[in-house]
Amino acid sequence: MIEVRDMKKEYLEGETPTLALAGVSFTIKKGEFVSIMGPSGSGKSTLLHILSFLDRPTGGSYTFLGKGINEMDDRELAHVRNSDMGFIFQSFNLLARLSVYDNVEIPLLYSNVAPNERKALVEEAVRSVGLAEKLYSEAGRLSGGQKQRVAIARALVTDPNVIFADEPTGNLDSASGAQVMEILEGLHKRGRTIVLVTHETYTAEFANRILRVRDGLLESDTPVVKTRNSKQEFIK
Amino acid sequence: MLIQDAFKTATRSLTHGKMRSILTMLGIVIGIASVIILMSIGNSAQSLILNQVQGIGSNLVFILPGGSTSGKFSSPAAAQGIVVKSLKQQDVETLSREPSITAATVEVRGQGKAIFGDNDVRVTYDGVPENFFMVRNFKTTDGYPFSQSDVQSFNHVAVIGSELAATLFNNLEPVGKTIRLSNTTFRVVGVLEKKGTGPGGVNQDNIVIIPFTVAQKQLLGTDYFTDIIISANPTYTIDFVKSRIASILRQNHNIISANKDDFTIQTQADILSILGTITSTLTLFLAAIASISLIVGGIGIMNIMLVAVTERTREIGLRKAVGATDKDILEQFLIESVLLTLVGGIIGILGGALVVGLLYFGITAFSPTLGWVFSFPLIAVVLGIGVSAAAGIGFGIYPARQAGKKNPIDALRYE
Repeated sequence: MIEVRDMKKEYLEGETPTLALAGVSFTIKKGEFVSIMGPSGSGKSTLLHILSFLDRPTGGSYTFLGKGINEMDDRELAHVRNSDMGFIFQSFNLLARLSVYDNVEIPLLYSNVAPNERKALVEEAVRSVGLAEKLYSEAGRLSGGQKQRVAIARALVTDPNVIFADEPTGNLDSASGAQVMEILEGLHKRGRTIVLVTHETYTAEFANRILRVRDGLLESDTPVVKTRNSKQEFIK
Repeated sequence: MLIQDAFKTATRSLTHGKMRSILTMLGIVIGIASVIILMSIGNSAQSLILNQVQGIGSNLVFILPGGSTSGKFSSPAAAQGIVVKSLKQQDVETLSREPSITAATVEVRGQGKAIFGDNDVRVTYDGVPENFFMVRNFKTTDGYPFSQSDVQSFNHVAVIGSELAATLFNNLEPVGKTIRLSNTTFRVVGVLEKKGTGPGGVNQDNIVIIPFTVAQKQLLGTDYFTDIIISANPTYTIDFVKSRIASILRQNHNIISANKDDFTIQTQADILSILGTITSTLTLFLAAIASISLIVGGIGIMNIMLVAVTERTREIGLRKAVGATDKDILEQFLIESVLLTLVGGIIGILGGALVVGLLYFGITAFSPTLGWVFSFPLIAVVLGIGVSAAAGIGFGIYPARQAGKKNPIDALRYE
């Protein structure tokens, strides 16, 4: 599903070029749950942005579902983001004054789904994260955990191939964080591909594979051996 | 994004900041209302002036002393306040004999103070022959117009306007009473019916009409006329009558070349044409002034939209992350600015209509004889909606493009 070969990303910080990714290669198969870990400034967020088509690499290649990022224009990237990718952000990025329904509906506004089919899709997505009773509540009035669940519903509503989560528990208390990770774990068990960026080991271990990034390079690519109860560890 | 979704999204964004939206719209509301009000006032004034000119009758030809150059807008010397003494009694007599002319009458105009008892009023007095009343269709509601013998005998008789009668005499019967005009006494023999404002803005209800012989010889000491008014014979065309008048006057005044004419002939059509052009230009001028406030309102919209784009950077980032294209974002912000200006424009039109209506009722209540007409030009409505929509696009396109161009990563990181 995802194939990355010698991918580089160079930024200009003022006049100085900075190499955020110095040549990274890996593949992610359909149905995998992969965590990307690394310290601050390691390049993990840059990697996630490129994987999720929010940014382009400056070198190497990246193929998503058989199509290279460099073969697509911005309009095609937007279309793929809408139909094949779901996003969960650390700071939720909900429109506070809109209802849960309206927030979850946003990706469908940019899709080809007919208006009369949207309601069922939104209701199903909201129900799947356990917030059916909050459907018409104002998003800004929800708790942090509820907001992130709304964000997950928004990521799911277009039935994407892959969900990209950027520090999804970073702004949550441990109970809410555990709840969010349980939802992601459940999605993975039902066959969804998940790519998670985190700097917390116990969050990363919900995945079945961890990519460690340091100084723009892939330091390790290891499977997770589930020797402990991740949820219990998370709450501790 | 479907257009109905784009409208729904834009409406939601605008209604979430009601106060800001209202204040932003205010500039456009005031701009459009100003254009509507000034265009309506211009049109009403135009109708009023043209109605007054039409009211004088289509078969009348006015001869003013002094020539005018060939340009359409060049006014005769008399109209510029220059005293020209070219129109004399001989002209009236020869014109009266012309078969294409039914009647020729004259006016000798002066200013004076009309006094009765303790009441005095500054008035325009008009020295005329007895046929003036017939030519100008002036009728009396009380008493009678003076006669040829009154004119020839230099009798001090006067016919006064209805408003002047009320001012000078209050509830008394004016006919038979004596008034003083420029230190000369006149016996009131008639009161005119209400006529309203006449050509040249003269209040015809506040005048004193006296025999021209008295006005010329005893009040003014002159032997010329302010103007000659011709009633054309309807079996001839006005252009023919005009040409006959010109040739008679040239003969009387020994003029060989037309460009040396010491008189100006104007028909109702000439006056209407000149006044129509002047008032249309005036209306356009007023609308142009009002449109300055529209531009200011439009800049206000642009300013607020730029602020909105900055404030909603994260929203733009999110929308782009979940699939919005540059065009989707541009459309959303453009629709918001067009909605703002369109709603502002419609409110402006309604507000303008209200003010125009109130003005009409106010003016007609305050001055019922003025003949002010209600005018709400449909072109102003079409223009109002068109201009406000164009302002929305024109002033909204830059902020909308800025929004559309935002990089999703930078937008999502924006604090």
